[in-house]
Amino acid sequence: MDKSYHTIAFYPQKCNGCNDCIEACARINTGEVSPAHSRIAIVKDSEDGSFGLALCRQCGEPRCVMDCPAGALSKNEDTGVIQWEETKCVNCQLCTLACSYAGITYNPVTRKVMKCDMCGGDPACAKVCGRGALEYLTSSDLYDKWGDMEDLFVPGISACLGCNSELLIRHTLRRIGPETVVATPPGCVAGVGSVGVNGFTATKTPVFHPLLTNTASMLAGARRYYNRIGRDITMLAFGGDGGTADVGFQSLSGAAERGEQMIYICIDNEGYMNTGVQRSSTTPYGAWTSTTPVGSVLRGKTQDAKPMPVLMMMHNCAYVATASTAFMEDYYAKLDKAVAAAKHGMAYIHVFSPCPTGWRFPPAMLIEIARKGVETNTVPLWEYINDGNEFHFTHSVDNPLPVQEFLSLIGKYRHLDADQIDHIQKMNKRRIEMLKMFSEQEERRAS
Amino acid sequence: MSHTKYLIVGCSHAGLTAMETIRLQDSEGAITMVTREETLPYSPTILPYFIAGQVPQEQIFLRDQAYFDKLNVTLLKGAAVVGADSAAKTIRLASGDEIHYEKLLLATGAGATVPPFPGIENVRYQVVRDLNDALKLRETMNQAKSAIVIGAGLIAMHSAENLAHAGLKVSMVVRRKVSLFAYFDVAAAGLIEKIFEDNGVHIATGSGVAKISPSDGGRCVVTLESGEDLTGDVLLLAAGVRPRIEYLEGSGIETDAGILVDNSMRTSAADIWAAGDVAQAPQFFEPGKTVNATLPNAVTQGRVAGMDMVSDPAFKPYSGSSGLNTFNFFGHHAFSVGLATIAEPTEDIEVNTTLLPSGLRYQKLVFQKDRLVGVSAINAALDPGIMRELIRRQTDLGAIKEKFVSAPLETGRLLMSKLWR
Amino acid sequence: MSKTIVCDGNEAAAWGVVKARPDMVAVYPITPQSSLAEYISQFVADGLIEADLMDVEGEHSVLSVLQGACLAGARTFTATCGQGLAFMFEPYFRTPPLRLPIVMSLVTRDGISPQCVWGGQQDAMTVREVGWIQMYCETNQEILDTIIMAYKIAEHRDVMLPTNVCHDGNYQSYGVEQVEIPDQGDVDAFLGEKNTNWHVALDPDRPMGVDPLTGGAAASGASLFVRYRKGTCKGMQNALRVIAEVHEEWGRKIGRHYSPLVEEYRLDDADYAIVTIGGMTGAGKDAVDMAREAGEKVGLIKVKTFRPYPLQAMLQAVSKVKAVGIVDRSVSFGWNAGPVYQEVLSTLYHRKERIPAVSFIGGLAGADITEDHFSQIIETTARTLRDEIPEGPIWINE
Repeated sequence: MDKSYHTIAFYPQKCNGCNDCIEACARINTGEVSPAHSRIAIVKDSEDGSFGLALCRQCGEPRCVMDCPAGALSKNEDTGVIQWEETKCVNCQLCTLACSYAGITYNPVTRKVMKCDMCGGDPACAKVCGRGALEYLTSSDLYDKWGDMEDLFVPGISACLGCNSELLIRHTLRRIGPETVVATPPGCVAGVGSVGVNGFTATKTPVFHPLLTNTASMLAGARRYYNRIGRDITMLAFGGDGGTADVGFQSLSGAAERGEQMIYICIDNEGYMNTGVQRSSTTPYGAWTSTTPVGSVLRGKTQDAKPMPVLMMMHNCAYVATASTAFMEDYYAKLDKAVAAAKHGMAYIHVFSPCPTGWRFPPAMLIEIARKGVETNTVPLWEYINDGNEFHFTHSVDNPLPVQEFLSLIGKYRHLDADQIDHIQKMNKRRIEMLKMFSEQEERRAS
Repeated sequence: MSHTKYLIVGCSHAGLTAMETIRLQDSEGAITMVTREETLPYSPTILPYFIAGQVPQEQIFLRDQAYFDKLNVTLLKGAAVVGADSAAKTIRLASGDEIHYEKLLLATGAGATVPPFPGIENVRYQVVRDLNDALKLRETMNQAKSAIVIGAGLIAMHSAENLAHAGLKVSMVVRRKVSLFAYFDVAAAGLIEKIFEDNGVHIATGSGVAKISPSDGGRCVVTLESGEDLTGDVLLLAAGVRPRIEYLEGSGIETDAGILVDNSMRTSAADIWAAGDVAQAPQFFEPGKTVNATLPNAVTQGRVAGMDMVSDPAFKPYSGSSGLNTFNFFGHHAFSVGLATIAEPTEDIEVNTTLLPSGLRYQKLVFQKDRLVGVSAINAALDPGIMRELIRRQTDLGAIKEKFVSAPLETGRLLMSKLWR
Repeated sequence: MSKTIVCDGNEAAAWGVVKARPDMVAVYPITPQSSLAEYISQFVADGLIEADLMDVEGEHSVLSVLQGACLAGARTFTATCGQGLAFMFEPYFRTPPLRLPIVMSLVTRDGISPQCVWGGQQDAMTVREVGWIQMYCETNQEILDTIIMAYKIAEHRDVMLPTNVCHDGNYQSYGVEQVEIPDQGDVDAFLGEKNTNWHVALDPDRPMGVDPLTGGAAASGASLFVRYRKGTCKGMQNALRVIAEVHEEWGRKIGRHYSPLVEEYRLDDADYAIVTIGGMTGAGKDAVDMAREAGEKVGLIKVKTFRPYPLQAMLQAVSKVKAVGIVDRSVSFGWNAGPVYQEVLSTLYHRKERIPAVSFIGGLAGADITEDHFSQIIETTARTLRDEIPEGPIWINE
């Protein structure tokens, strides 16, 4: 597998042309703020006011490196950064002719070329950008660190096209590794053949069907015994929302109260998808399901979703987080914390899991919908760390997109009228207000 | 006889790029590279800088042996090719060894042209084409006080500058009206020549060599057609290059000035490709084929050849040869891309020139209708690579052409920023 | 060293657990099992039981945590009854086909409604077809001894089935008797190495899919399911032999002998017999003794093992008499009779000649079946020899 690298991403719509990045770049490299010394340039479109970026893209097959007659440019295999060695450079400037993005440019003051070196892994431009227009993306870890790890879930399972659960299982098991006992209660995850069908199994770790009702209890029993005999085996549950928030809630609540050591991941696709898209307690207000149908009298679900992750936080779990597959780096960071927390208590991760089949949207839209869920504050991303009583958002909840940008992508919301949309928008706001009480408390305490 | 899947003859930019391109797709197939050089690969482009002492010898090499070992590539040094048999799929080395190949890339580069100047056989002269030439020149230079450089291209200009930096009094012989005619128009070339003159390099333009004769102390005298006599301790010929194709006689591979290739860098013989200074390839702006002995072109062709040899699904044919280069001299910088030497507008050609001699700054944009076709610049704040890309993509500037003319740097960057994902 | 104490049945059961050395005990209180849960908890607190004590949030989880632990390799124990068993039913049902050798006391209790917290065997009898081994005890000593033996039976490689050791709520759970607690070394030697998950495990050292989806339209799927079912039935049948062997070994090594499946009491020269199960047997035996003194040729058949059903042992016993009166402490609503009665009737089919059989239902909701009741039962049964056969079941304590 090819190595992937960190990168500096540019979101033009967030840029206001303040030039802070340019000054920061010049300063960190020369101590002066003259834009002549900046390796990053922001250009403004005088017509539509939009902004463009000129910055080294640290290309995979860098033409500047190939065109250098002096061997002064090379791509660092570990960091992916294209390095310029001043002592080797003969100043022929062929590199400036090689780059299509003005990523390496001639500095008329120093009379040498210059290019971005990513500040050794802590780029000043991204750090100084207060608007998030420049972002240092470290998601390459997903490919480099976890991509090399064994996929403990076999190919050829029978998940629906574009299944988010499959994505989650593969990533999660990669991270958590083979010293794990996996529980997949009845539902989609078990339904795709994770435990096995007629003699064949899909998972390379120990895996079992608990009952829909007793996932947390069975894992608790196994973990207790492994503790007794001194083996550190991770207990991992992939529960659906029904087995977590509905009929399995008692056993989960009991296990959480007792501080049983496990990672419980709720893959919340907001209903009983495996049995044909019926309502669960996490089905959101207004959503169509086969038991909250849309007709001349009924217009989808009439109650709001059970705030499951908050309930788990109130259970005093060692670690509680929400996650989305559109933000995998965030998810991996949370998995790391969950693994650590599960050594001494329960780690609960509630993953927002759009379902192409049950929600009625094309499979290719999966990640986009997962992203819009977060960006509209429908699914705020946060984490709670019991040790220290920390609560914080892991993705900004300020300036959310209107909820319609999320709802309009999904078939199960197609029937919503203005009042229903208004209700959802208000609920999103209320949810954020409530969560902010936790985060503000945290901020007060920290200050 | 040894056997290899890929055989690459020549180990400079075209050969190296082809090899690296092949390895991206085929991590295991045997690759053998042969070079007539006794050393690790280097770029001829580095030699003027080496002569000037700007780069120590141990630093001129493009890749080290460990690099070839890591990529599992066999590098045969000191192995000049003396014959090729396209039917038997073999090449013959000077040592008599033969190598059987499945796919062959010829990237043997170009050697210096030695024009038949009257009396040339009676004097000691230098060329700068390989490391041995450069080492010899350095040795000669050390005892010299003056030099004559014959030629008007970038190698001639680079060499003249570096000889001047080394403290020699340098005279240049340029047969045409101006130097660098391949890249710059008269006005721009005049500006460059002025800078050379200001730095003590005498440039004699518009007059060819009448004869060359030896003088005392190993010196030589170059008599120009104008009657002017130039005397120097060192005589450097930089009058152009000629593809190295002698070894192909009788091979059945079609040649003209260089090895004739199509847009995939394929020669007339099956499973044989050619790239770089040795290849005579289709042109970008007009029909016909040309030898384009520049570094960027060698890399482009090496990449096209490598992708075709390995059947890379991302293969895109060679878009055609056009002029492009950068030129850094006496602290000034210049570049030229595409049809930059057109001086006069025509029906569909528009030329936009900005000349500020006081600031030693020059900028010229050439458009064909709404498309950029050429740019040349001296000391101008432009991104050569962006200009090159806009020309190569034949980007329709349409509505933004005026904006581009008034602010080519910003507009070019904006365009490429938007094109980038 | 063994030692003798005086204790109730729940404490006797707890002492059996002490000696069996489980790795995990899980408890949730329910009358009349609660004091057993308390004894277990206290014994763990005192270090007498070196097990993890999981005091979970309900019986459903009680059995679930034990399943998890057992799959990881633990020897486990719990106890429940009545509504607790009903709530536990979901994991209870899957324990036998998973072949998990979990041992559980059922301190039998009658079912609701109407509301009732007292003894009766309705709970145990209702789950008799689920695949758990069921053994019913007569004395507190037998409770203690049977709990230990239950591990050896359940964990036998030919069996691998969960086992209920049943004793009656109220009369046995709270009734005090003298009990001898066997020496730990003797019990250890008797039980040997535990054997809980050689066949199915949740262990990264030998990863497997536990309880995969089976069956469906594919013929291979259905046949795999049939294999599981037949396997459980075979384990049950093997258990008849193993239960007998284990009881024999217990008697040989510990010195207390019990009939493993069916006990025949004064049966050899009997004309007729009564059939009892559980704690009522003592009163039944006293009544038989009294009738014998009065010249009645009556005997008693005690059901120790009800699941697997000891067909041959029961057939051998009932073949010795000409009439039987069967006393149930629970109801089969569909048959208008007791469950044990039905099974004895089924057994009688294997005899050539037909004999009369009477269903008695008594001791419901914590009521006592006294010696007087048994005397009437004996008398009623005796009358059937004279063709006085009553209609329907005879309800005692009515």
